[in-house]
Amino acid sequence: MEIIKTNTLTKRFGSTVATDNISIHVNQGEIYGFLGLNGAGKTTLIRMLLGMIKPDSGTITLFGNELTLQFRQWNEIGYLVETPYSYPNLSVYENLKVIYKLRQQNNLKVIDEIIEKLKLTKYINTKANALSLGNQQRLGLAKALIHKPKLLILDEPINGLDPEGIVEVRELLTDLAKNGSTIFLSSHILGEISKVANRIAIIHEGRLIKELTTEELSSQIIKKILVQTTDNQKAIQHLQNANYSVEPIETDEIEITDSEALEKPELISKLLTENGLPPKQIFLFTEDLEMYFLRTIKGNKR
Amino acid sequence: MKQQICALQAELIKIKYSKIIWATFIAFALAPIMGAVCIFIIQGGEALGKTGALVAKAKAMNFEANWESYFDILTQTVSVGGILVFGFVASWIFGREYSDGTAKDLLSLPTSRTQILNAKFSLFVLWCFLLVLSNLLLAFVFGALLQLPPPGSGWLLQSLGDYFFTTVLTIIIGFPIAFFALWSKGYLAPLGFVALTLVFAQVIAATGYGSYFPWSVPALYSGVGGEYKILLDNYSYGILVLTSIAGYIATVMYWNYADQTK
Repeated sequence: MEIIKTNTLTKRFGSTVATDNISIHVNQGEIYGFLGLNGAGKTTLIRMLLGMIKPDSGTITLFGNELTLQFRQWNEIGYLVETPYSYPNLSVYENLKVIYKLRQQNNLKVIDEIIEKLKLTKYINTKANALSLGNQQRLGLAKALIHKPKLLILDEPINGLDPEGIVEVRELLTDLAKNGSTIFLSSHILGEISKVANRIAIIHEGRLIKELTTEELSSQIIKKILVQTTDNQKAIQHLQNANYSVEPIETDEIEITDSEALEKPELISKLLTENGLPPKQIFLFTEDLEMYFLRTIKGNKR
Repeated sequence: MKQQICALQAELIKIKYSKIIWATFIAFALAPIMGAVCIFIIQGGEALGKTGALVAKAKAMNFEANWESYFDILTQTVSVGGILVFGFVASWIFGREYSDGTAKDLLSLPTSRTQILNAKFSLFVLWCFLLVLSNLLLAFVFGALLQLPPPGSGWLLQSLGDYFFTTVLTIIIGFPIAFFALWSKGYLAPLGFVALTLVFAQVIAATGYGSYFPWSVPALYSGVGGEYKILLDNYSYGILVLTSIAGYIATVMYWNYADQTK
């Protein structure tokens, strides 16, 4: 079942096109990662999904129902938009009680449960203005999760968290997805998204420029062997004679992109050694997600 | 209805421990305290030789050491001070969500935006009524302590009627402030609006057209403008009520239909 579906969603602020014809769909139980530079249109899209901003054109469907002013399924959605803020004069418990009331919950136990789940028990009576950035983020997540939503829309959920907190949130999100929740996640920590998302979308200057599964992503990531010898010209000849596709690059290295070589780089080392050119350096380069992302958006400049 | 009650309960939780509550009660309590001080000075005028000038000024204002004068001061304080203090309360209730950064948490909930606004308006009315009630209570305590002479028959009902009618007029003319708080996303614009209305209320009332300027009406009704009170007619109250309704509708429409980017 498609939990989120947008159809040619466009929003302009004056002459700035914040989102341009964005069509995406997110299925039940999926973790959908949304990547983009600052100002790419991520938060505008998230605010449109939450009914905070109205699109100039296009439609949004949540749980199969078009998002209009009459949409009433807000209790099936939990959200965290940009920096989570709370009422500074209220404790963690009281902040959650405000949301508890506004979410029309009937069992106060849910507050204690979510406090325990987000490891905020120690701070239950601490005022929000005395919380660390990481714990404020946990409180923001607690507010988003208190009512056990079927759809979670999270904008930068791991901002400010320490490494332990990041792992906890990653596990929490994975567990929620396993239990059928759908998660729409935006983050600038691209490596983190690749660890949890099933599918990833890249937005740049308001346009959706790529949408792919994590499997497709790993197949599109550049892998190559970089070799340096005492005589690169001779080494290239030997490698070409052995039918490897090679080319010299500016950094005084030889680049090899054959899939056979990538699978067995030791063969390259052996071949060169047998021909009296033992490699000074041999390196299996794998493009990381940041590089992939930058390469993708560079190729899609307006 | 349950949703509306929950929204009001949420608003009541939010104001817990807020120092601003005590600040408004202290600021508003200055009226009965100052009134009591004036009465005390008038009562002991002869004995307190150095305060002769104050006694003369109080007498020039027709202020006497009795319940009637004391209540006039209280009512006039509601109509002028109320515009300022109630305006401050409204600015805080509606503007704080933006200065605290919590407005976005209120926009996509099963409790509708209109219900949340209604809860805020209810809190505003409740808060203002508690302010005027606390002043009333203080006045009774101070009046009793100062042993003011018993008032004429029927006075209490008439004075309380004027006091609460002035309160109602002053509270409902505070409704448009909510719109400025949401529109400007903070305190500054609504407070500026309050300051402007106070200035215009004075200037317009002085020109004789105050009876048709909604922010002058409560003060004219309370008797601050003396003989100008007789200029008030049904149109005066009608304009005030329409301004208040327009403020409420603009607030609700704005929060429901405008893009919320903060």
